[in-house]
Amino acid sequence: MSFDVSVVLAALPAILSGLKVTLGIWLAAAAMGVVLGFVVAALRHFGPAPLGLALRLVVEVLRGTPFLVQIFLLYFGGPYVGLSLDPVPAGLLGLTVYAAAYFSEIFRAGFAAVPRGHVEAAHCVGLTRAQIVRRILVPEMTMLVLPQCVNMAVILVKETAVLSVIAVPEATGVISAIGSQQYAFLEALFLLAVIYWGLVEACGWAGRMIERRLSKFRFA
Amino acid sequence: MTLPPSAIAIRGLCKSYGKAEVLHDIDLEIARGATTCLIGPSGSGKSTLLRCIAFLEEATRGTILIDGQPLGFEERPDGKRVRLPPHRIRAVRAGIGMVFQQFNLWPHMTALGNVTEALVTVKGLSRAEADARGMAQLRRVGLEARARHYPSELSGGQQQRVAIARALALEPAILLFDEPTASLDPELTGEVLNVMRDLGAEGMTMVVVTHEIGFAATVGQRIAFLDHGRVLLNGTPGELFAAPRHPRLTQFLETYLDRGAAMLLQPA
Amino acid sequence: MSPRLFELMLKAAGYTVAISVAAIAIGLLIGLLVCAAKLSPRPWLRWPATLFVSFFRGVPLLVQLLLIYNLLPVLGLAVPSVVAALIGLSLCTAAYQAENLRGGFTSVPRGLLEAADMAGLSPWQQFRRIRAPIALRLTVPALVNEAILILKASSLISVVGVVELTRTAQNLAASTYEPLLFYSAAGGLYLAINWLVAAGGSLTERALRRGRLA
Repeated sequence: MSFDVSVVLAALPAILSGLKVTLGIWLAAAAMGVVLGFVVAALRHFGPAPLGLALRLVVEVLRGTPFLVQIFLLYFGGPYVGLSLDPVPAGLLGLTVYAAAYFSEIFRAGFAAVPRGHVEAAHCVGLTRAQIVRRILVPEMTMLVLPQCVNMAVILVKETAVLSVIAVPEATGVISAIGSQQYAFLEALFLLAVIYWGLVEACGWAGRMIERRLSKFRFA
Repeated sequence: MTLPPSAIAIRGLCKSYGKAEVLHDIDLEIARGATTCLIGPSGSGKSTLLRCIAFLEEATRGTILIDGQPLGFEERPDGKRVRLPPHRIRAVRAGIGMVFQQFNLWPHMTALGNVTEALVTVKGLSRAEADARGMAQLRRVGLEARARHYPSELSGGQQQRVAIARALALEPAILLFDEPTASLDPELTGEVLNVMRDLGAEGMTMVVVTHEIGFAATVGQRIAFLDHGRVLLNGTPGELFAAPRHPRLTQFLETYLDRGAAMLLQPA
Repeated sequence: MSPRLFELMLKAAGYTVAISVAAIAIGLLIGLLVCAAKLSPRPWLRWPATLFVSFFRGVPLLVQLLLIYNLLPVLGLAVPSVVAALIGLSLCTAAYQAENLRGGFTSVPRGLLEAADMAGLSPWQQFRRIRAPIALRLTVPALVNEAILILKASSLISVVGVVELTRTAQNLAASTYEPLLFYSAAGGLYLAINWLVAAGGSLTERALRRGRLA
């Protein structure tokens, strides 16, 4: 096995463009997933019971099936119900909905984990329901769920690789394609592995930094 | 053969963690068949001393003799301190039982399982014989009916009584207690102290680290008061608590006692 | 869906379960070794274990599978794609299970081992009778979780050509032009299997409840 670095150098522009797509889809899906997930969790916590039940069902289905199957269903099945999407929008939509399901579950557990006594104490000093949500529940929950959110963001980086199966021009698709054209598959895959590894480790490191910063807010 | 007069003889014991020395040159004789209570403020080193006697901590210098036998280390005539071979350490430690503040019952075993575990795995007894002995020990602490319960299904007081039965099952000559009631609700301390009182009356050699000054004063035959890693006072409750009291002890009693317990100690 | 095609899907689901169970079992064994290495006081054991865990948790499973699938022939090991897939899945889950196990072993309170020490149990007896049983009980929920994750992740081995549930759905969707039907059916089957695994997990947890840490 011989490693040919020149292959990598020649393909650098293509590799960078793939990386850009990976990062773009990851960040966009994570951000929209957090927002959508929060809305779902809030509706399940505060909304009418039938809506909560329906949302729970959707979340359970999304969490119980492989992302690959979801993407296939959306991309290949979508056109049959009038949802014809190009690879990038399909990938972005799929990853966002997938992320939202997991984020909503993290937030739901977060709401439930805020000690009842904190809410009771807020009632006693005369805060209104809305104030309690805004001033007590949401900030405390955010502290509680931050580590899991970082964890989920790491999972999402890795899930973007799956989008290569519907021809989204992200890192895995682009780099493995270069590898097979140049007969340097292993070099390409090693490079790819190192890129993801670095991204995941960096994300984990950032998460630990944030956690350390927030540790003083943690209740005993 | 005559037994040495002291069940435990501690000579020149020092213990450091890194640079911090928590026990300074401790000399202490623990009498056979008596209950000795170690009292003192938090951080005075009383728990560390007890854990050194249990050999859960290794002293940095000095010796501990259990029934005249060196525990863990031996001082050679040339002054060198050498670690004893494992079988000799095991032999001496087999005579020591320990009861912990946090009970430390094994959660995946029933009360009876906790009591019989070492009888089977260490002493090699048959299951039937171990169960019979285990039930006898549970009866001794009044928990025969709870034999098949798991620790998670027992109250704190019951868990601690099972822990005492577990230690007794190995028939130790010496029983060590590390703040045995400190993790218990006040209404549950009584049942544990009663068991300990009975053991003391049967002539068991016990060393008890405790904050229960009332217990120390009524059941303890000897009390050692530790402060800043030294044995400051050592004597009978009468000697220690009678006026004129050592000023450090008075200060300790005032900060650690509520008025009710303090009344117990008023010289009659 | 004709009964014949449904039977095909069911068989494929069985294949997915078989591969997942094998990967979990092999991964548990490797995970135990990696965990032992990570808890070892010897740096030359700890280091490679840390690297192993970091790599297999840091790289997408799809990339791992492609890497192993293409690496094995270069190393002179011409194995069927299902074997390459099984190796990839097992190594990946081993990394996660090693971390779960480490969490379990380090969560066993020190005092329980001190009590065993005072009762005269040897270090090996302490490990076998006290530390390992408690650690494994603590790990059960994480193990069930990992089983569900691997079941879902096993769909990725379809990319290296293993005809399991997802690949079967893909083939049938392409040949019948009914992607909605077959991908939904595949999703339903994954859901059903996961539900069974979760139910089995909570039964196990209930059975172990009496022996939990107080």
